[in-house]
Amino acid sequence: MLELNDIRYEVSDPENNNDLYPIIKGINFRFDTGKFYAITGPNGSGKTTLAKLIMGIIPVSGGNIILDGVSIEGMSVTERAQAGIAYAFQHPARFKGVTFRDIMKIASGNKDESELVKTISSCGICSCDFLDKPVDSKLSGGEIKKIELASVMARIPKLAIYDEPDTGIDLWTIAPMVVRLKREQEQHGTTTLVISHNKAFLEAADVLLLIRDGKIVYSGDFDGARLLLEDLSACNYKNECEGENDAECYR
Amino acid sequence: MLNAIDKKLLKAVADLEDIPKGAFNIRKNGKLLSRKVSANIEIESDKDRDGIIVRVAPGTVNESVHIPVILSQAGLHDMVYNTFIIGENADVTIIAGCGIHCGGKESEGHSGIHEFQIGFKASVRYVEKHVSMGSGKGERTLNPTTKVFMAAESHAEMELTQLGGVDHAKRVNEAHLEAGSSLLMTERVMTDGVQLATSNNKFVLAGPGSKANMISRSVVKGNSRQELYMELEARAKSFGHIECEAIIMDNGVNITTPVLKALHPDAEMTHEASIGKIADDQLIKLMSLGITYDEAVNIIIQGFLS
Repeated sequence: MLELNDIRYEVSDPENNNDLYPIIKGINFRFDTGKFYAITGPNGSGKTTLAKLIMGIIPVSGGNIILDGVSIEGMSVTERAQAGIAYAFQHPARFKGVTFRDIMKIASGNKDESELVKTISSCGICSCDFLDKPVDSKLSGGEIKKIELASVMARIPKLAIYDEPDTGIDLWTIAPMVVRLKREQEQHGTTTLVISHNKAFLEAADVLLLIRDGKIVYSGDFDGARLLLEDLSACNYKNECEGENDAECYR
Repeated sequence: MLNAIDKKLLKAVADLEDIPKGAFNIRKNGKLLSRKVSANIEIESDKDRDGIIVRVAPGTVNESVHIPVILSQAGLHDMVYNTFIIGENADVTIIAGCGIHCGGKESEGHSGIHEFQIGFKASVRYVEKHVSMGSGKGERTLNPTTKVFMAAESHAEMELTQLGGVDHAKRVNEAHLEAGSSLLMTERVMTDGVQLATSNNKFVLAGPGSKANMISRSVVKGNSRQELYMELEARAKSFGHIECEAIIMDNGVNITTPVLKALHPDAEMTHEASIGKIADDQLIKLMSLGITYDEAVNIIIQGFLS
């Protein structure tokens, strides 16, 4: 349902005569309808950048993004949302005076309140307590992540992108969150992309994508990725660093 | 009698569909249009100058007073002095506001000077809205002045709103707080085109244990300009906070000056002020829910000014 053809993203590097510096280096991949994908990789490898390119938050420097046979790389964020893509941000925006009810009404297209309450409750949020609260800086990190999750689910998207949905979420809520995302996938046939470092999401995925240095270095099941993941978890600078004798880090 | 324009103006400034229940005083084009008093709320014309004196009897609770002013007469510049005397232990809501309908080339304006004497342990909620409508090119001016004297342990919440259509607004707010009294003032102003709005505020925390919180939310659109001066002066062990936030759109200008004066060693005073454009992450979040850039801007501004 979603094809990435030679996707590239470059930024100018002010420390190097504004030369172009590649962040995403030609990614090719095809996401199939209704499957659950986990995207993982070291910090700074390009996971969030790739997700933002799909949503249109940043423009591609090259390549094509095809959604259900239609090229979308020239579309705005609004148009991509209307085409069926939804995005849960790693660090959700906080507003002044805009309430959770306002957000949910927009997300659902003014659906009946009882429908909204069902969605909200299933994300672990008390609708009585939260619906009229402003989505502002008074909310805790966990609360705003659950609100973010609910706003994406209320759209019933074709393609849902969740950028590190477990950030700020307590440990005992992560397993139910995985179950919740899987249920959404099964009930609505939602193609689900979850960016995460958390094993619970990686194990739950139908396909795991490993991104390193702006490229997909592995796609397949979790078991097949174990060795690579262990290798990556050691250090980004394994090859350059002189090792234990010179290491000032805490590994 | 209220005509269609009067009704529209009353709805905008005082959320009134028709003549209100309870005590009220409606002023139209510089003259008294209609008045009603209640058993506990007396309204009389000021003998010395143009305006009214509203007296709320001690212990009056859960009552309200509406005192809207509407202007639709070209060339009229109305000036009025209103005094509110709130008795001890009373708890009332006062809805004021001015609506201007300008249909021609001539300017129209209103200057309302409101003075509050809030009695011991009394509580007041004051809501004031200023709007201007009509397709005339005449300049619309609103110059409200609010002076508040708060007796010991009294409490007041004041919401002052001007959301559009006013070409020139010069606002002055002054307050004097005695021991244990508290005042929360929220001012919301939106300007557009080449409009100018200035607001000068000075609150004096005179008594021990007094508390004041000044909040300002500004939206500056087009080539408009807003100048805000907020001063808190603490003369006793007291608490004061100023919070000013402005969103600039287009080529608007905003000048915000928060001033804290601690004249007592135990005064606790804080301020936060920020001016900037709408945050990108807010716009992108709303657009990612399927609405357009302009719709997202509207929702963010409405929330900010709510």
